[in-house]
Amino acid sequence: MMIEALLGVTLLSALVVMLAPDRIAGKLAAGLSLLPVVGSVWMFVQFDGSGNALLEGGSLAFETMTHWITIGPYTLNWHVGIDGISMPLVVLSTVLTTLAITSAWTPIDERQSQFYALMLLMEASLLGVFTALDFFVWFVFWEFVLVPMYFLIGIWGGPRRKYAAIKFFVYTNVASLLMFIGFMALVFGLDVTTMDMPAIAQAIHAGQFGTTYGLGAETLKTVAFFAMFIGFAVKVPTVPLHTWLPDAHVQAPTPASVMLAGVLLKMGTYALLRFNFTMMPGIAQQYAVPIAALAVLSVIYGAMLALAQRDLKRIVAYSSVSSMGYVILGLVAYNYYGVGGATFQMVAHGLISGLMFMCVGVIYNTAHTRMVGDLSGIADKMPVTAAVFIAAAFGYMGLPLMAGFAGELFIFLGGFGADFAHAQLFTALAMFGIVIVAGYLLFAMQRVLFGPFAAETDYDIVPAALHDTVPIVALLLLVIVAGTVPNVFYGMIQDAVTPVVDAAASASAVVVSTGGVFL
Amino acid sequence: MAGALEFIPAIPLLPFASFLVALLAGYFAPKLLPKGGAIPGIVATAGSLVVSVWAFVTVSQGEYIAESIYTWVAAPNAFSLHFGVLVDPLAAMMLVIVSLVAFLVHVFSLGYMNDEGEGGLHRYYAGLGLFTFSMLAFVVADNLLMAFMFFELVGLCSYLLIGFHFRQQGPPSAAKKAFLVTRFGDYFFLIGVVAVFATFGTARFVATGEGAHAFPHMAEQALAAVGGEGTMPAHVAHFLDVVGMSAQQWFSVVGLLVLGGVIGKSAQFPLHTWLPDAMEGPTPVSALIHAATMVAAGVYLVARMYGFYALLPTVLAIIALVGGFTALFAATMGVVKDELKQVLAYSTISQYGYMMLGLGTGGYIAASFHLLTHAFFKALLFLGAGSVIIAMHHNENMWDMGGLRKKMPVTYYTFLSGSLALAGIVPFAGFWSKDEILYEALIYGAGDSPILLAAYAMGLLAVFFTGFYTFRMVVLTFHGEPRSDTAEDPHGVRWNVKFPLVVLGVLAATVGLVNMTPVAEATGLHIEFLHTWLAGPEGTAFSALGYEHYHHLLESFAGYHAADIAPFVPAAVSLALALGGAGLAWLLYSGPAPTKHTEKLGAARTLLYNNYYQDEYQVWLAKGVTLPLARGADTFDQGVIDGIVNAVSSISLFSGGRIRRIQDGIVSHYATMLTLGLVALLVVFGVTGGWF
Amino acid sequence: MVPMEYYLLLSAAVFCIGVFGVLTRRSALLFLMSVELMLNAAGINLVAFSWFHGNLSGQAFTLFVMALAAAEVAVGLGIILTLYRNFDDIDVTNATTMRW
Repeated sequence: MMIEALLGVTLLSALVVMLAPDRIAGKLAAGLSLLPVVGSVWMFVQFDGSGNALLEGGSLAFETMTHWITIGPYTLNWHVGIDGISMPLVVLSTVLTTLAITSAWTPIDERQSQFYALMLLMEASLLGVFTALDFFVWFVFWEFVLVPMYFLIGIWGGPRRKYAAIKFFVYTNVASLLMFIGFMALVFGLDVTTMDMPAIAQAIHAGQFGTTYGLGAETLKTVAFFAMFIGFAVKVPTVPLHTWLPDAHVQAPTPASVMLAGVLLKMGTYALLRFNFTMMPGIAQQYAVPIAALAVLSVIYGAMLALAQRDLKRIVAYSSVSSMGYVILGLVAYNYYGVGGATFQMVAHGLISGLMFMCVGVIYNTAHTRMVGDLSGIADKMPVTAAVFIAAAFGYMGLPLMAGFAGELFIFLGGFGADFAHAQLFTALAMFGIVIVAGYLLFAMQRVLFGPFAAETDYDIVPAALHDTVPIVALLLLVIVAGTVPNVFYGMIQDAVTPVVDAAASASAVVVSTGGVFL
Repeated sequence: MAGALEFIPAIPLLPFASFLVALLAGYFAPKLLPKGGAIPGIVATAGSLVVSVWAFVTVSQGEYIAESIYTWVAAPNAFSLHFGVLVDPLAAMMLVIVSLVAFLVHVFSLGYMNDEGEGGLHRYYAGLGLFTFSMLAFVVADNLLMAFMFFELVGLCSYLLIGFHFRQQGPPSAAKKAFLVTRFGDYFFLIGVVAVFATFGTARFVATGEGAHAFPHMAEQALAAVGGEGTMPAHVAHFLDVVGMSAQQWFSVVGLLVLGGVIGKSAQFPLHTWLPDAMEGPTPVSALIHAATMVAAGVYLVARMYGFYALLPTVLAIIALVGGFTALFAATMGVVKDELKQVLAYSTISQYGYMMLGLGTGGYIAASFHLLTHAFFKALLFLGAGSVIIAMHHNENMWDMGGLRKKMPVTYYTFLSGSLALAGIVPFAGFWSKDEILYEALIYGAGDSPILLAAYAMGLLAVFFTGFYTFRMVVLTFHGEPRSDTAEDPHGVRWNVKFPLVVLGVLAATVGLVNMTPVAEATGLHIEFLHTWLAGPEGTAFSALGYEHYHHLLESFAGYHAADIAPFVPAAVSLALALGGAGLAWLLYSGPAPTKHTEKLGAARTLLYNNYYQDEYQVWLAKGVTLPLARGADTFDQGVIDGIVNAVSSISLFSGGRIRRIQDGIVSHYATMLTLGLVALLVVFGVTGGWF
Repeated sequence: MVPMEYYLLLSAAVFCIGVFGVLTRRSALLFLMSVELMLNAAGINLVAFSWFHGNLSGQAFTLFVMALAAAEVAVGLGIILTLYRNFDDIDVTNATTMRW
């Protein structure tokens, strides 16, 4: 019942905050959002699941399964539970929400209670996405995430907020439609009468295909795989389906950007892992080379785009495209370090990109500009913010002992040992991302933070308030902890991805050779 | 006596504690921080020094250590990643060097930073602490991954310290360049680390204990198996299949990849360009970076995994060539520089070139020896330069100096000691080590390897230039008459500057005595202490890290053969060249008002003064190639990719806009449409239903 | 007995007159009247069929339709009054602001 309590408390908090007066909404929301943080951390400590949620031979933590509705022959259940993949993401969502809410105190000054209520509503739906194990329930949460985000961008966003909000909503929604059709076609082709994800996954692995519309099981799976892949790739986002992201980020208010980069993007990779890569490893391995090429393209092309930007938020937005490319590379590598690293990188990138956006937000709060050319030497005026910014930027560049390095290293280790053709070459190419990322972040830092102080803005640059500093410092500490003691949650991740890798090995026609020895 | 080795983690952790103290106290309680953090730093590095010396003594009694102390990533299904300590003679020597130099740099900073009234001292000392921590942890690393991680952290610290004066334009730019250029090298290094894991499944340097593997040893086994002895480890064989290369080819690729990081950090051609710019940092930081930490890290890494490199003749040849070329190349640039620290910067590049030359030509001990002597005399020279810079009120131009000899005798004599060492004049430290490198290069080169001979020739030629620029620097700075008002009346320096200078001055003069190869050859005395020190024990796992083993590898795998040449003639030649260079500098520049002779070189001087336009092409690569490419990608992204997205939406918007015109609000039109629709339906039904 | 076709032709004629009125008149009042014509055309049909089949439900429905028509007139007149108040006219082509 813990998950239901978590969801209930969050939804109830959203309701309470919406009814609260603006004056206290921010603090009330931050306070109430601590409840899910405490809850999720408690769950993290108590976590006793093992194995993968979708595949056989594991047990879920905090599982609930009750019959909900029956539609025709199909039984829909309320099925939620947590395994090693979702547990870190749940904690990430709750922690990041609290910090994002705190970081909103300064910039958000109108319709505050609605803003914070939407943030909490989004948190609830994100928690739903990461815990739901019935496709129907999952899909409701998946789609519902869009609604608060749409309003957060559309109401509190920058000058082109309407364009960005509509682009975000329509783009991702069309993608969801494609994914939905693909998955439904697959389910109707299967010999099942349930929408339960574990049951479906196991049915696919067992090859229980009934009617397949005369396509043949393999063709159906391939079509479904790509429909879903495209659907999720938009959310990740993968080049060339990424163009909604920079617009959404630039227009969104900082706290929404934090959630967007920190958690929303992970929905895409989470779903890729859960659906495509867990359910249909055979197809994924068959098309490993094009998928890896797409991942490398995302990494390099995203980083190159970041290099050309002047807006700090745009820089971070494009570098998210780049970093999420690593995740896809890790997934397609299909070995313990690859898939585990991809999952680790989801959390690591969530923390670091959230931190980067918060730092940019803190600067924007006082400077009211984010343009690289407009600011110079502000480390002089806001030393603590600058220090955290530098640390965050180095975290983003993959500095050892910070979370990003661990994630990227695991993915590289996985990618280099992967089985598909030219895996080493692809990995080496993708790794060049670490040079480009250093290039654009160092250039941006040099111009914004260092040099003689100058600011082309009508506002005074003043040090950040305590309530702006505490979240970024706290997040930085989390990044360092995750980088120095990755075992804190990498153990449960490995436990959960092992069945995926093993299933891939047995699904693959060729023997997973490198994986057989030590990878 | 195992006690000392259990305290090894304390060696890096003490400076880390001083980093934390300086950082936290500097922010929360600056008043409580004595001397802006200098005291905790000095105490911590002194502690590290004491433990290092203790460890050194322990190691000298034949007790080594290699063990994991922290499992960073436990992976039940794959290889785990861990941190561990490895202290053998090489590491013990390096620990003493690093902690001693760090300690002296901290003391010197009291004079250079505190007494000069610099702001942001806690930031400075925090940076120094973190720098020392990273370097010491790098030195004790027992596997390649840990080495890489701290290698990167060293890069971060250099960024923070070079950019210490962040309010000016130059330092942040230099810091960025330092990190970016070394990051470019580290990119290859990281691929190398990953490749080592993928190939061998371990990145340990040495295998101790049951079932442990070390990658140099596995590489040796694999190559031996190719030669028909023993069997190749199964996963190595498998991975070679995957990459489709022979063992020798693939290991060479891996070796070159790791070498990328070395070339970046040790400022070898073509990634040396960051180092002269790094002079923007405070002078004590330059001393730390160039003498004992960052730049030394690269060479130390090659020495650390020499068991791997010694198997690969191609890579060794490349190391030797790069080293020899860099030694000569950097020395020529040092000849024309006007600023004291610039001369020293190019001398650093050049000297590390010698070490690479030594490693590449099989002179493992010679290179380690030069690493040792160079650490002391280069730290000395930088600190001496710092002392001069204090005296000159932060004017670094040598043409404004002159005559400082009488005003600051302590600085002069210690600086002279360092300069003699740098130039390689007998019996100062640099002579013995540089000479041994050249000697090794010569004997292995003459043993049927023209590439090594070419590298030797470059190294030998560089000796002349080294002598010249060193004494040009000394003469211009200290001799003659004062050429500016500040040189007339220099600012005095205190004990905290003089003490490190004296310590290092004595060391620079004497440390070469630990390995006087020519004398040993001549007299037959066993006074090559460093040879004994690095030879390695027999019969334990650590023998794989000893020179005896490396020598065996060089001969049986890399095909190195030493020609039988007595050490005297080569030593005399290089000494003569050094003296020649020094003498020429003396001739040209002594006297009360020296002229700028290098101006007469014309175009050659312009080329040298502009560093062979190496910076220009690298800046061009960044700004002229990468940036336009990025802009092009951006235009493409906005225009084509986002253009398609927007085009899709405009098609819907456009067609919607057109179709909605039907709904014009006039009820009669709606009624007309209704009626027409009804009629049309009737007609359709009529036709299909067969009413007509 | 008058044949069924006659009733149907009458109803169709009345309906067409109504449609014609709706399509061509601009006055809301005439509009309303034309709509009434169309309703009544339907009523004629219902009554005719009811008579023919000997089933009274059709006639009962027609009574309902008449009552409904009366109510509709009331609503329609109300709309026309509002129209007049807002546009100073009862020309239906003027009131185009309720689109989209």
